[in-house]
This record gives sequence, structure tokens and C-alpha cells, in this order.
Amino acid sequence: MEQRSSLSWIVKCGLSGAAVLLACGAATAWVGGSLQLPATTTRDGTLITLNRYVQESVPDVVLVGSSLTYRLNEEYFATPKLRNLALAGGSPLTGLEVVLDQPRLPKLLLIETNVLSRAPDDAVIARFGRGQSVAPRFFRPIRVAVAAYENRLHAPLTHKQIVDTMDRLLGQPPRDFDNSVYVDRAVRQYDEDPSVAVQANVERLAALMERARALGVRALLFELPLPKRVEATRTVQITRSLVHGRFADPRLWLPIDAGLSELRWLDGVHLDERSAMLVSRSIDTSLGRLLGQIQGQIPSGKS
Amino acid sequence: MTFASWQFGVFACSVFAVYYLPLLRAYQVQMLVAASLVFYGYGQPELLPLLAVAVLGTWLFLMLALRNRALWLPLGIGFNLALLAFFKYKFLFLGAQPAPTGQPLVDFLLRLPLPIGISFFVFHNISLLVDMTKKDAPRCDLRGIFLYIIFFPQLVSGPITRAQMFMPQIVPKYFSDVPFVDAAKWVLSGFFFKLFVANNLNEMTSHMDFPLYEALQTQDRWILLFLYSFQIYADFFGYTAIAIGLGLLFGYRLPINFNLPYIAVSFSEFWKRWHMSLSNWLRTYLYIPLGGNRRGAGRTYLNLIIVMGLGGLWHGAGLGYLLWGLLHGIFLALERPLLPVLEAIDSIWFRTARIGVVFLGVSMLWIFFKLPNFDHAMSYLAGMFRAGTNPNPTKLFYNLALIYSLPVIIQHLGVERLMQTRLRVLEPYLYGAMAALAYLEAGPETAFIYFQF
Repeated sequence: MEQRSSLSWIVKCGLSGAAVLLACGAATAWVGGSLQLPATTTRDGTLITLNRYVQESVPDVVLVGSSLTYRLNEEYFATPKLRNLALAGGSPLTGLEVVLDQPRLPKLLLIETNVLSRAPDDAVIARFGRGQSVAPRFFRPIRVAVAAYENRLHAPLTHKQIVDTMDRLLGQPPRDFDNSVYVDRAVRQYDEDPSVAVQANVERLAALMERARALGVRALLFELPLPKRVEATRTVQITRSLVHGRFADPRLWLPIDAGLSELRWLDGVHLDERSAMLVSRSIDTSLGRLLGQIQGQIPSGKS
Repeated sequence: MTFASWQFGVFACSVFAVYYLPLLRAYQVQMLVAASLVFYGYGQPELLPLLAVAVLGTWLFLMLALRNRALWLPLGIGFNLALLAFFKYKFLFLGAQPAPTGQPLVDFLLRLPLPIGISFFVFHNISLLVDMTKKDAPRCDLRGIFLYIIFFPQLVSGPITRAQMFMPQIVPKYFSDVPFVDAAKWVLSGFFFKLFVANNLNEMTSHMDFPLYEALQTQDRWILLFLYSFQIYADFFGYTAIAIGLGLLFGYRLPINFNLPYIAVSFSEFWKRWHMSLSNWLRTYLYIPLGGNRRGAGRTYLNLIIVMGLGGLWHGAGLGYLLWGLLHGIFLALERPLLPVLEAIDSIWFRTARIGVVFLGVSMLWIFFKLPNFDHAMSYLAGMFRAGTNPNPTKLFYNLALIYSLPVIIQHLGVERLMQTRLRVLEPYLYGAMAALAYLEAGPETAFIYFQF
């Protein structure tokens, strides 16, 4: 009798668990993975960014970089079909390798070189490499519910709203915020010699750029401006000297001229919103010329 | 091999599949010992000899203490404490990278990492030596001793079972005696609390690490502190629930380790509800031998502070752990004379306020677990009392934080009692849904917090 009731309990438990799984599986097949789940960590953000990249159509221009480039929202650019694949807290090489592993490639790759002391995330590269589909089989009911709620509360801005915000911000003078505490902290943080890690990553970057060239993709490097005191730190100086030593040809570099006096870094290293817009516009200007040249030289990325 | 890995699932099912075969019933203890060795050696086989030294050494001291308790019992305890001190506190004196001595064996020992679970099996060994050398102690053989110390469900993080409770359970086991429903409830609760609650909260509380906490707003520092309280409970409760469920599947009842600790109205009650097996151990083998409360009020307070301070150091060799233990001891000592007065006030609001005060105090002290570096812990605490100025603060999703904390809150509000009513019929469906949610909503895999101890 007792054994029978135990069995009945376990069967009911198993059936209810299976029912929940089936419901979530069916909902995933029906709705798909279109809902943007909330990112609770920077790694979450990385996975969401890359997931979106491998699922959507191939852009013409892709930016890869660290959290510095992450601040350049795609909406700030006038260039159509541009995607920002910069990963907050990550290495530019992670995004670069994921892009080159895809079966369809962009025409132009822009690679940030400010932060080259971090190793590429091989687990992420393996997960998103070779165009693998990473769509989940079951949706996460809690996360999806929260995502729906958050999207309702904070609906994405329309193009007009974005343009209005940009016009308003760009019409204002730069922010007058005393960021010296944060610059002091950044200066302390960047007071170390990253030669070993940077050297290895520079070599890997060179190999990846060669691979991009062989695949018919033009790859250019760029550096985002930093506050003068941070520019003078050992980490920044050593990184710059190693990168420029390896990539001395000026044709490999994308010029950015955003007017240093107009730029602000609220936390000492990351551009504020207005400054990110100015830098994005400067990149736009350079891209206008480049894409015209590429259109004439390269028919398309490898298919 | 951790409980939440597929390798462990295969391992546990394989052992269970052969454990109750009638032909092998005479070898059940040996089977569990062999399985425990596989479990412990998986991934770190170089630590198996250490485990053997600890068990065989303790067995040797036990045999000697049975002849002359006064001489060999202290030596046996000293042997185990020396093991613990060597592995746990050597880095305190030698640094993280000890310089080579030129002696291969010494260098090998100095380079060995902290053996997982050493704090727990050393406590088992001491309990074995003390309990088994008493006059009325049950007899035990080497197989039983091995099983008691390295029984895999409790080997890494407890619960800390007393020898006199475990040894009498070493008898032949029958499949028909397995309480499957109880075992399933424990195991499913454990996985749910670990995967759904602790691992998801861990994503958020990772923002408490240095230097990430510097980007937090003041109110978020407070929220994360409470989330960490829920996380550490869910993590450790989850582990011990799985251990208890596994124990039942193999015919052993392990002690219950938690009893809704966050509804405690005093620090002394908290320690009767949190990590109860450690509290019992410390009371039996440390507090009472020190004199307990038999030598006057002053000595009682001192004993409480000493015991809790040592309990803190047991968690790790660091100023933060010591301070955590000492502060708990001081709170215990401070509240002790007030308890009769407080207990006399019969008001639900007063009781609720007391729960709030104890929860706040306990949560504030958990910061020394989250940030073992003393300076980081103090910096985090200081930031809770001044306005943050970071222009790009970290964004926390409060709704997710609440949802992932809800199981702990609901459990503490007494859902168990609700399940004793007519709602009992819903119980299997609830556990089934919990199992599905643990799979669907599992946070990124992280080690159990208590593995580091």
C-alpha cells in the first residue's frame, strides 16, 4: 500500500514536471527566441549581443572591441547596416573571431585596440563559432515574463526619438562633471606592464587580420580617445607602442577626429552619451569614404 | 564531481543500481566506500592518499585510544587538527607560492591545493575518536570507520554527522525500506534551491566582488547584501538537502542542517537553526569541554566568543573569517542576559522586529564570506552608509531579484505547514514544477559556496 502511494506520488511529480517542460518547449517553438531577455551580468550581455549577431542578417560594417566601444550605440551611426559587436568586459578578439567564424561575412571590420590585455574568451568563440545555432529549445518562463514586463516599461525608442535626443544632446555644451576621482582610480588601475598579454594578443590579432584579408574582408584598427592622464599611463602607453609597432602601416588605421576638447569620460575611461555620439559621427565620416572605395574593390563578403 | 553535474547523475544512478542487489548485500559498505573514493578522487586523484592517511591515521589512534584514552585521544585529535592546520593555514605563513625546499616530498605537500572537504572530514574524525572511545560506544570496524568518514553524500560539505548517530546505522539495507518520496522531496528541493535560487542570485551578487561593487548605487549595496543572505542559504541548504536525500536512498539518515534560520528572533536561536550540525559539533566538542555555562557568566561569555572565533577560523585562514566568528560570539554574549526580558514581551510586532534585527545583523556579517579580503569587506560596508556618485551605476533587475529570492522567503513563511493541510494533495505537482523550473531557469553553474571551506 505504502509502495503504491509512493509510486503514485512519483508519477504525479514526473508528469507535472514533464507538462511544464512540454509547455515551455511548445511556447519556444511558437514564439521563438525573439524576446530580448534581461542581462543581469556583463557575460549575459555578451551572449545576448552575439546571439543576436548570429541570428540576424549580415551587416556591411561590424565594430568589435571592449566596453569602450560598447558605448557607441548603433543608433548613433548614420551608416546603414552597421553592427556593434563590442563586448563589455571582454576582448576585441572574441568578437573578431566569432565574426570570422561565420559562413557569411561583412565587408568591413573595425577593431578597437585600446584594450588588448584580456585573453579572448575561447568558450564564447566555441559556442558561437562556425555559425552554430544557439537558439534554446525551451524558453525560460521567468526570464521571458520579466523581459516582457521590462520591454513594456522601457519600449525601444523610435528613430525619431533617437534623432531628437541626439540633436538635443549635441546642441548642448559638454557636461561639466568633476570626474577626477574616477580618473585617479583609472590611473592607478592602469599603472602596470601588460606586455606579455598584449604581445600574445597582438600576434593573434595579426593572424586574424590576415585571415580576414584572405576571406575578402577589409579589417581596420582604431583607437578611442581617453583622458590625457589615462593616455599617459604605463598600460596605455605600452599597449599603444606594441600595437603600433606591429601595425605600422597608416592604411591599416581608421582615423577618428572627434575634437578632444568636446569629449567627456564620466567614469574616467568610458565616453559619456554625447561624446559617444561625436565619436560615432567621426567614424561615420571616415566610413563614408571607405565604403565607397570598398564598393569598388570588393564585391561582397565570402558566402 | 559536483552534485549538479551530469557525471554525478550517472555515478549516483550506477551505484544505486547495484547497491540493493541481493547478491551484493554483504558488500554494501564496501561498495559505498569504493564509490566514495571514486567520487572524491574524480578530478583530484592526487588527494586520495591524503584521505587514506587521515582515515588510517584516525583508525590507528582510535585503536590505541581504546586501550589508553587519556593518552591517545588528545594525540589523535592533535593529529587531525595538525592535518587541518597544515592544509588550511599553510598559505598564511608560506604565501600562495611557497619557495622550493629541495625536498621533493615536502615540495609536493606544500604545493598541494586545499583538499576539498578537509574541514568536514577532520570534524568527523574528531567525533569518531571522542564518541567511539566512550564506555557505552558501539563497536566498529575499519570498513565502518571508512564509510562514516568518507560517505560521499556528506563528504565534501557535511552535514557533520556524529559517530554515535551514524555507526548504529551500518546494517544491511533493503530496497523495500527506501523512503522514495522523502528522498525525492529532499533531492528535488536541493536542486531547486541550488540551481534556481542560488545560481541565479549568484549572477547578481557577482556585482559585490571587488572592484565591481564600486559601481553600485548605495541602495543596491543593501539589496545585494540581502540577496547574498538568500543565496548562501539556498546554496548550502540545497547541498545538504541533496545530501540528505541521497543518504536516504542508500539507507542512511543524515542530520537535518537547517530549520528556517532567517526567522530566528535571537542570535542564539539563529545558531540552533543554521548549519545545525556544525553548531552541535562546536557545542559538544568545544563549548562544553571549555566549561560551557558552568563557570559563571563571565566565563560563559568568553567561551561563546572563543568558540565562535574558532568556528570562524574553521571556515578559512583570514582576518575576515575570524572577525565574522568573533562578532557572532560577541552578539551571542551581548544578548544572553537580555533574552529572559525579551522573551517576556508577547507581541507579534516585537517578535517581527527581533527577526528583522537578527536578519540584518547576520546579513551584514555575511559580507566577510562574500569578500574574504578584509579591506574589501570594510570598503563595501562603508559604501552602504554614504551616497554613491558613480555616473554609470550597475543596473539591477529588482523584479528578477525578488522572483529568485521568493522560494527562500516563502519557505520561511511556513509553506511546509501549509502542505500539511488539504493542500497536501498538490505536493507532488509542486515538486514536479520545481524540478522543471530548476532545469529551465537554472543559473550559470557555480561551485557550492561551502566547497571552499
